[in-house]
This record gives sequence, structure tokens and C-alpha cells, in this order.
Amino acid sequence: MTAVIEVQHLTKNFGKVEAVRDASFSFAEGGIHGLLGRNGAGKTTLMKLMTGQEFLSSGSVKIFGKSPVENASVLGRVCFINESQVYPEDFRGKHAIKAASRFFSGWDEAFAHELIEDFGPPLNRPIKKMSRGQRSAIGVIIGLASRAELTFFDEPYAGLDAVARQMFYDHLLADFSRHSRTVVLSTHLIDEASNLLDRVVVIDAGEILIDADAEGLRSEAVTLVGKATAVHEFAAGREVLGVQQLAGIASVTVAGLDDNARRAAADAGLEVGPVSLQQLIVSRTSGRTSATKEGADS
Amino acid sequence: MTALTSDAPHGTPGLGERLWDVVRLHTTNPWTTLILPPLITLGIFGLNYAIWALVSRAAGAELESDAFANNGGVLWILVYMMVTAIQAMSDTFRFALGMSVTRREYYLGTSLYFAILSVIYATGLTVFGWIEQLTAGWGLGGYFFAPFGTADQSLGLRAYAFFVLLLMFFFLGTVFASVWMRWKVNGLLTMLFTIAVALIGLAWWLTDVGLWGSVGDFFTGNSPLGLLTWTLPFTAATALAGFGLLRRATP
Repeated sequence: MTAVIEVQHLTKNFGKVEAVRDASFSFAEGGIHGLLGRNGAGKTTLMKLMTGQEFLSSGSVKIFGKSPVENASVLGRVCFINESQVYPEDFRGKHAIKAASRFFSGWDEAFAHELIEDFGPPLNRPIKKMSRGQRSAIGVIIGLASRAELTFFDEPYAGLDAVARQMFYDHLLADFSRHSRTVVLSTHLIDEASNLLDRVVVIDAGEILIDADAEGLRSEAVTLVGKATAVHEFAAGREVLGVQQLAGIASVTVAGLDDNARRAAADAGLEVGPVSLQQLIVSRTSGRTSATKEGADS
Repeated sequence: MTALTSDAPHGTPGLGERLWDVVRLHTTNPWTTLILPPLITLGIFGLNYAIWALVSRAAGAELESDAFANNGGVLWILVYMMVTAIQAMSDTFRFALGMSVTRREYYLGTSLYFAILSVIYATGLTVFGWIEQLTAGWGLGGYFFAPFGTADQSLGLRAYAFFVLLLMFFFLGTVFASVWMRWKVNGLLTMLFTIAVALIGLAWWLTDVGLWGSVGDFFTGNSPLGLLTWTLPFTAATALAGFGLLRRATP
């Protein structure tokens, strides 16, 4: 498989702020890739760098093997749906969709109509008067109907309700299996999207924290629940990602347990359960952030 | 949609097609660039006409025949086109980038649109000037579409004048718009201050070396056609400056 996106030692500074620091990762062609992280972690900046909207400070970004900056042959195959996309003043929903239909050469008008029907955004309403969810629907429709070979969705469903989000997942999966597309999705709702994702890149404070196969990542850690004493005894000396305790019952998230260790845990009377992607990422990022803060305070 | 370019999965549209898409982006909502300017022009003309009618009724036979021949009101459209260029660009630039348009395609397409607008407005103003001539100043000797006593010039020259001046103000607008998009208010203020300093410096220098006479000669020595044509290199320079500035702008 060829890499559609190749990022190497990428750094982006805004004045003194390092928004992205020495990031390296690559995404293979085809598949839905997650770009996850907290607010302000650098997800949007990273997407802007990958679509030539921002200029990098150092390192390299290759999309389809070439730099995307001012490169029409690359950008013509890319669609970037930005959560904070600014639309022209007085643009109505229909104007945005009409304009998009001209700019994206793979645009599927029939599909666009189907999506409009499903998501039902008020096409005659000025976009600046739309709710967040309605604006998101416009973005989702454009992103899906563009049929771009590489599509970036940055928080595509901010403000959308659960039904609309499910609709988005369904359309994305269906369309993605029929047409060869590579999708990069950034989202807060990690668990909801986790079973869509093939690969996961987690960025925190501008640095790539995790770059792994979603399946592999999930099996990397387990949750152990049981009597506090037994749990702590077992967890001692292991890589603990999170601890919760209520009365005499404790639950810990432990990384790096092989099959033998899992059996041992079960034998010790502990309940071994899967860890959700969200839990895993939260424990990795929150732990790190507090460690950084302590470091900064001292 | 693009059945002719089907070698790549979706086909990569040619540059011309992309530029036209940018033009269409500007016309998607025609209010700012296509509807408002003629409306305001006609509005100002209407007000002028009302004043001429009022004055000539009050003055009666005492009115001098060329009383309304030196009107400059129509020139507002030149300055307004600069504002229009700034509005149109700051309005659509970020969206265009979001539609995977390169800055180069955006700037070239926008320039093409401004050139088309210059042709449209130059034609419109000239047609009204022609009607004005045929009706001897709308029956009142009022010359709105031939500013500052230029009614005796040929229609061709007047059309050319409108065209090159509109073009010049549009491309001045692209410079201001690009500066605005890169550095916002501080950039604009710095630029205006720099221009003011440069102009005063130039005036000092011209005085110092005693070249004001030559400057005067340039304006009196060249024909109107020659002077108008001299705006073209200047316009080209502003167009290049606008592009140079926009190339590094981010949404």
C-alpha cells in the first residue's frame, strides 16, 4: 500500500507558540484514519498544513507524494471540511453547495441530493444564521458528495444530534466501500467513531503521542476490576494508565499485558475487560498533560 | 460534469476551468459586485438630476448654459470599485481555499473577474454617456457621465478612460485586500503610513532637484490617451504586488 499522506519532522510555529512539534506519521491509501486529541492540541493546524492552507516552519508534508502547498494537482484530489470554515458573507446553504459542486471534479450531484434529503439543512437560510449543527450538515454534505480521493473532516459533526451523526457514519462507510477514498477524521467523540477507524494518530500539545493501528491500540490495554487490595497487588510494577476506586473496589487500566498476564489476573479473581479507545487516549493524554504542568510549575 | 477529462479517477480540470470556477464563485452572490454599484450610481445620478432640475427651475433664463457641465460625481465609482475589490476578496478568499483552490488560481480568477467587471462598467458608463450626449445632457445641459467637461471627447476615448481607470482601482484594491488578509488593521495602517511618507519624500526630492517642471510637462505634454495608457504599467505593478502579498496569506 502506498502512503497518501507522509509527514516527517513537521514543526509549525506561530510566533513563539509551537502548534506542531516534530510530528512524523503516515497514512496509507484507503481507510478511515483518526486524528485525535484535545482542544488546541494541534489537529486543525495539522490538517491545514496537510492541505496547503498553512505554511510549515520545518520538516515536510507530502500528499500523494508531493507538497500540497499551491499544488493544484494535489489539491484537486483533496477536500478539507473545516469545522470553522468561513463562508462568504450572505452566502446561503445552497450557494455553498453550488460552489462546491463546481470546485470538486468528482462531485456527485445525485449523492448530494440524497444527503440533502437525509440531513435536511435549511438551504435557503444564510449560513451565518444557521445553528452549529446546520452548518456542520452543510460541511458533511460537501465533504461526502465531493468524492475527493482524500477527504479531511475536522470535527465534522459539531452540534449534530446522535441521529445525524449515525447517518454520517452510515453514509461514510457505505460510500467509502463503493469508491476508493481515504478519509482523515478528527473528533472528540472517540468511542463513537472508534469502530470506523483503521489507524489512530493522537496529538497532544503539538506532539504525536500515539500512532497505531486502532485494533492493536485497543488490545494494548485492559481494565482490571476487583477488590482494591487484589487489584493494587496485581498492578504493582506494571504500566498503569488510570486508577479508579470506590469503597473497596478498584478499577485500573493496565497496558502491556500479554495472554499469560491476563490469565494470571483472572486467576487472581480480577475481572479483565476491554478498554475503550477513549479511555485509553484520555488516560494517556491527561496523565501527560498534568505531568507537563507539574514540570512547568516547579 | 467534466466528461472530457476522464483519464485520472476524477480528472484534473484545466487551469482555465479552475479560473472560471473562481469567477463563478464571485458571481454566486452578485449583490456586492454586480447589483449594488449600478444601483448607487443611478441613485447619485438621480439626485444630481433632481438638483439640476431644481436649480434650472429657480434660475430660469439667468442660468448659464454650461452650469451643469462640470460634474465629477460619477468618479465615485472608481473609488468604490477599490472598496468592492477589497470586499470581494476578503469575502471569498478563505472559502476558496476551503474548496481546495490554490492562491494562484484564486488570484488569477479574481483578476479575470475584475477585468470583466471593468469592461462591463466601462461599457455601461459609456452607453449612459452616449445617451447623455444625444439628449444634450438629459434636456438640462447636465453632464454626469462625462466628468469635468469631457463631453466633447470621443466616446471611444471615454470608454478607454473608464476601462483603464476602473482596472487601476480594482488592482489597487487587490493590494489593500492582500495586505488586509495577511496583517489586518496593523498592516493597512503601516502601508498607508508608508505610502504617505513615500509621497512626501518624493515631493521633497522633486523640489530639491527642481524637477517639478518636468512633472508638469509630463501631464501637459502627453495626450489624454497617452496619460491613460501610462496607468497600465502602474496597474500591472499593483497586480503583481497584490499577487506577491496574497501568495503567503493564510485563511
